[in-house]
Amino acid sequence: MTLHKHWKGIALFLLPALVLYGAFFIYPLGFVFSLSFTQWNGISPPVFRGVQNFIDLALDSTFRLSVRNNFIWALSLGFLQIFLAALVAMILSRRPAGWRVLRTVYFLPNVISQVAIAMLWMAIYNAEHGVLNQILTAVGLEQWTHNWLGEIETALPAIIAQQVLYIGYFMIIILAGTMAIPVSFYEAAEIDGANVWQQEIHITLPMERGILITSMTLAMAYGMRHFEATFLMTAGGPANSTSVMGLMLYNKMGFLDYGHANAVGAVLIILGGVVIVTIRSLLGQRQAAAEMRQ
Amino acid sequence: MRKTTSPAVDAIAKTGKWIVLGFFLIITFIPLLWLVISSFKTDLELINKPFLLPKVWQIQNYVNAFQLSDLHLLFLHSVIVSAAATALNIFVASMASYALSRFRFGLNNVILSIILAGVLIPIIALMVPYFQLISKLGIYDSLGALILTYAAINLPISVFLIHGFMGTVPKELEEAGLIDGCNFWQRYARIVFPLSRLGVVTAGTFVFLYAWNEFIYALLLTSSVRARTLQLGIRFFKSQFRAEYTSMYAALVVTMIPSIAVYILFHEKIIQGLSSGAVKG
Repeated sequence: MTLHKHWKGIALFLLPALVLYGAFFIYPLGFVFSLSFTQWNGISPPVFRGVQNFIDLALDSTFRLSVRNNFIWALSLGFLQIFLAALVAMILSRRPAGWRVLRTVYFLPNVISQVAIAMLWMAIYNAEHGVLNQILTAVGLEQWTHNWLGEIETALPAIIAQQVLYIGYFMIIILAGTMAIPVSFYEAAEIDGANVWQQEIHITLPMERGILITSMTLAMAYGMRHFEATFLMTAGGPANSTSVMGLMLYNKMGFLDYGHANAVGAVLIILGGVVIVTIRSLLGQRQAAAEMRQ
Repeated sequence: MRKTTSPAVDAIAKTGKWIVLGFFLIITFIPLLWLVISSFKTDLELINKPFLLPKVWQIQNYVNAFQLSDLHLLFLHSVIVSAAATALNIFVASMASYALSRFRFGLNNVILSIILAGVLIPIIALMVPYFQLISKLGIYDSLGALILTYAAINLPISVFLIHGFMGTVPKELEEAGLIDGCNFWQRYARIVFPLSRLGVVTAGTFVFLYAWNEFIYALLLTSSVRARTLQLGIRFFKSQFRAEYTSMYAALVVTMIPSIAVYILFHEKIIQGLSSGAVKG
């Protein structure tokens, strides 16, 4: 369509989106990075202090623990959750009885709020009358019972497990890709005598490579951003053992320590970017932007 | 030696397949079912017989839920915030998508890429600037703060979904509109927007669910009950309900009903929306 007649309309139509995007994406990014070099309480003017905030963070054992936990989250989601999601997608792609219903039910927890899910799992993990301990006791495994969210050894695995097992989101993405592979490929392989495993390894996996890498990248990015379940279920405890960067940011803000809060934010953004770039270059795929659009 | 699968291997594979499917069915569904059933029990039944059905289904728990908390008010707030954020988001995103997908002006791809790159930014890292921005706008602790924030955060995903659909509307239809004297706004509102409704509905579903379930910024950008949404309200349930767990579970079930209703109505759209990203990727 001819442009010169419409430029006013185009500009007017783009304006609201650009204003909102500028206010909620571009300005905040600049804000986080520039104020991460200052000492600031949100009221008096910020005081520049170079990279001191970042040095403070590097020396802070809770922050180092948080970064470690974020990487544990990223690896658990990126590998374990994607593996499970791919496994289930592989099974469902062969359209077993009831596969549509199963697909719908598996995704159900993903539409329910993290807060409600956290409350539910707190009831499951509860030390005294939690569902998990009751089941263990009932089947004679009393020695396996724990104060799941209250013990240092079990708290982090318990929160992570609760998220890793909700495979619905990535299962649907991977399943869609698998189902887009022409059936004739499998038929040809079957005529050549390939069994189901051989078909999956020699047809599905190579054709799915792009989607699997995208899913891993996204899952790891989510791991670096993790906040809600930890905030609600343990608030970082016991003894900071489940702390993550997002939680530290929130706590620093609570103390009106906006300089350090923004420094944590800056590290979170940078490490998130590093994880995305690393996994993509390691796995030899570089069309990052195109594939991250979901 | 062509056939590599024996009946025994087949049987093991089959059993394994159903074990995996059954396991995830239990994980994703049974805890939710347990919560719903528990919300109809007495507190004594919940503690003593957690896995049995209630003797008498306690509808009273749901009455308590509304009496012990401000559930009706929180519910209303959540409905307003989610509906308004979805409307604002779809309005802004669809106008931008129209300009970006129906005209070529050199900057198209640059603007589109910048907007879509928004999904790469961890929104959680932006707590301090969002708090400052909302405070400076003078809308801290108001529903407006959440409406604006949720609408903005979801621009990238909505533009992604709607832009794709708008690009497929045939040019001839728009040209026919032009000949009939439709102006810029009319061609968007009467021709292209209605014809992209598949993308619009999918995007709207995502934004609504996001807004309904959002917690972090509801926590950060509001402080009093006048702007409190359901998700934030759940945090206060523990102190409001004290030991009355079953009433608290009833309140929890109430907070989930809209999400589940939207999912039942639109699950095809949600699955389609996620799948479209996958296939394009």
